[in-house]
Amino acid sequence: MKARELWRTTPFRLTLMNGAVFALAVLALMGLIYQQTAGYLGRQMDGIVVSEARALALGGAERLPERVNQAVAADARHIEYYGLFSADGVWITGNVRALPPGLPIDGAPRGITAAKLQPGSRALAERLPWGEILFVGHDALVLSGLRDIVVRALAISGGLALVLGLAAAAALSLRPLRRIDQLREASRAALKGELGVRLPVSRRRDEIDMLAGVANAMMDESERLLWEVKSVGENVAHDLRTPLNRLRALLYRVHQETRLQGAERQMIDQALAETDEMLARFRALQRIGEIERRDRQAFFEPVRLQSVLEHVIELHEPVAEDLGVTLAPEIAADAPKVSADPTLLFEAVSNLVDNALKFTPRGGRVTVRLATRAEGPRIEVADNGPGVPEGEREAVLQRFYRAQRARTQPGSGLGLSIVTAIARLHHFTLSLDDAQPGLVVALDCWPRGIQA
Amino acid sequence: MPKILAIEDDPTTGREIVAELEQRGFSVEWANDGRTGLDRAVSGEFDAVILDRMLPGPDGLAIVTAMRGADIDIPVLMVSALSDVDERIRGLRAGGDDYMTKPFASEEMAARLEVLLRRRGAPGRDAARDMSLTVADLELDLISRLAHRAGAEIRLMPTEFKLLEYMMRNSGQILTRTMIFEAIWGYHFDPGTNLIDVHLGRLRRKIDRPGLPPLIHTIRGSGYALHAAG
Repeated sequence: MKARELWRTTPFRLTLMNGAVFALAVLALMGLIYQQTAGYLGRQMDGIVVSEARALALGGAERLPERVNQAVAADARHIEYYGLFSADGVWITGNVRALPPGLPIDGAPRGITAAKLQPGSRALAERLPWGEILFVGHDALVLSGLRDIVVRALAISGGLALVLGLAAAAALSLRPLRRIDQLREASRAALKGELGVRLPVSRRRDEIDMLAGVANAMMDESERLLWEVKSVGENVAHDLRTPLNRLRALLYRVHQETRLQGAERQMIDQALAETDEMLARFRALQRIGEIERRDRQAFFEPVRLQSVLEHVIELHEPVAEDLGVTLAPEIAADAPKVSADPTLLFEAVSNLVDNALKFTPRGGRVTVRLATRAEGPRIEVADNGPGVPEGEREAVLQRFYRAQRARTQPGSGLGLSIVTAIARLHHFTLSLDDAQPGLVVALDCWPRGIQA
Repeated sequence: MPKILAIEDDPTTGREIVAELEQRGFSVEWANDGRTGLDRAVSGEFDAVILDRMLPGPDGLAIVTAMRGADIDIPVLMVSALSDVDERIRGLRAGGDDYMTKPFASEEMAARLEVLLRRRGAPGRDAARDMSLTVADLELDLISRLAHRAGAEIRLMPTEFKLLEYMMRNSGQILTRTMIFEAIWGYHFDPGTNLIDVHLGRLRRKIDRPGLPPLIHTIRGSGYALHAAG
């Protein structure tokens, strides 16, 4: 599972987006709180400076400088500013030496900016009834403290939210990603043509399960259709076999019971032979269906391929001799045993040899080879006949397909299909290649992996 | 005249069995369900049974099992639409002597039945103890694996020996290509083309030398038989 895949998952993105919205909301909340608090504190500070100024003014003119000094001395926090100026603005006392320029002398509290003061500080200047000017200022230390707190809180919570959000997004995405991986694995097998593969469905009935369920239903349907198509030929064969067999029985009875002579006798013989040929084809079709339906493991055992090939050669040797073809074994004695159904393997190799003999001209050669590959033993049946052009090789493995070279030969065109069915049952690989000249059919006797 | 019991519920197949066997001189009784079939099979009146695998009432497997349980030892030829290997194995394991897949050619069925009857028909003769087999002037020594015909020695390849032994043990019987392939090679698929014919031809060239009356006969449309000329 790669980081990029993680980032692409819906839960990851949703979680991150959710986190961003949450962060914005927190930011807005904090901003609002700060703004409201700042306004409130500003009004409080206004109240403070107004009431301070009023308290000083109410004491009368005589001891005002003294009280201003007392007020300055009493302010341990150093946030209050006082200044007493004469009517023409000359400093009399207080910790403010000069009236800030531009501050109207009207007794109304205002925001003030000065180098020593925090932003948002408030102050007023008031002309006292006796002409002197009183300045009272309040440094907004509380406000800036509050601002610091808010910013720090925002920074800490923001960082925490980012880390937690990413972690949550990753954690939430891992499980769906793992399930997607399982789905991908299963679909890959299905794409390779494995039947009976279904996507895993969990008990959570979430959206992935819904999609997997739909996909599974589609796979059920296509598998059903596949079987239907596959069994059509077989069913036709099955349905036609019985009447065909009765026809044969009738022909046979005519053949047995009447004393036919010459041409009529020959015609009946020929009709019997033709019927037998048709029955053989139907049997082959049914045989393919039978192999395809067979429970794979039921008849599997360790098989010594050497003896299978020897028996096949022994069976076909007289035919080869009749045809004037050399049947040559090239058998590796050290080839390991394979787990297989020995009778089916015999049938497969026998079909391959039968096929090769058919297409090898008199004086030719058919080689039955057992080679050892790194992955396992490989059976090859090679002839030096006309071969099969590259474009046709895939097709000759199809049911009923008869290559150009086979058109003039008797036979059902089903021999290789039987071999294909047997190879598929074993998960072995059947391939056709150029023997230069001729055709070589190879059966790789090791289970084909999912990657191959 | 051997008496045969045919237990078969399909009327067409049943009629075909009866017609073929009667034509060959058997006396045939036909039971068309499992219950009657079982009652008749254990009656001890028959020499062989042709038994359908799928039947209403007790099925073929149950009947053959019941027969063997009652020590009825007559040959049973099972016929079935189920052609799978495990079906064949199941049928033979239950006590069937041979197994044929439907639909079948009737002469194949008759040929198989005759071979079964012949095999059981020689009680007290222990086939494994035979030292040699003789048909007319042909003799096969089972120990040295040599054949002699009209005084001349005939050397046989292992397959030829097996083939000749099988044909001599069943001399006079029609042996179909399928029966020969099953008996000699032990496989149940269609060997195709003329494989068996070629093997027979080879054997025939050795046995029926020019000038001698032929012993191996081709039965048109069916198979082969080994018997004295005439």
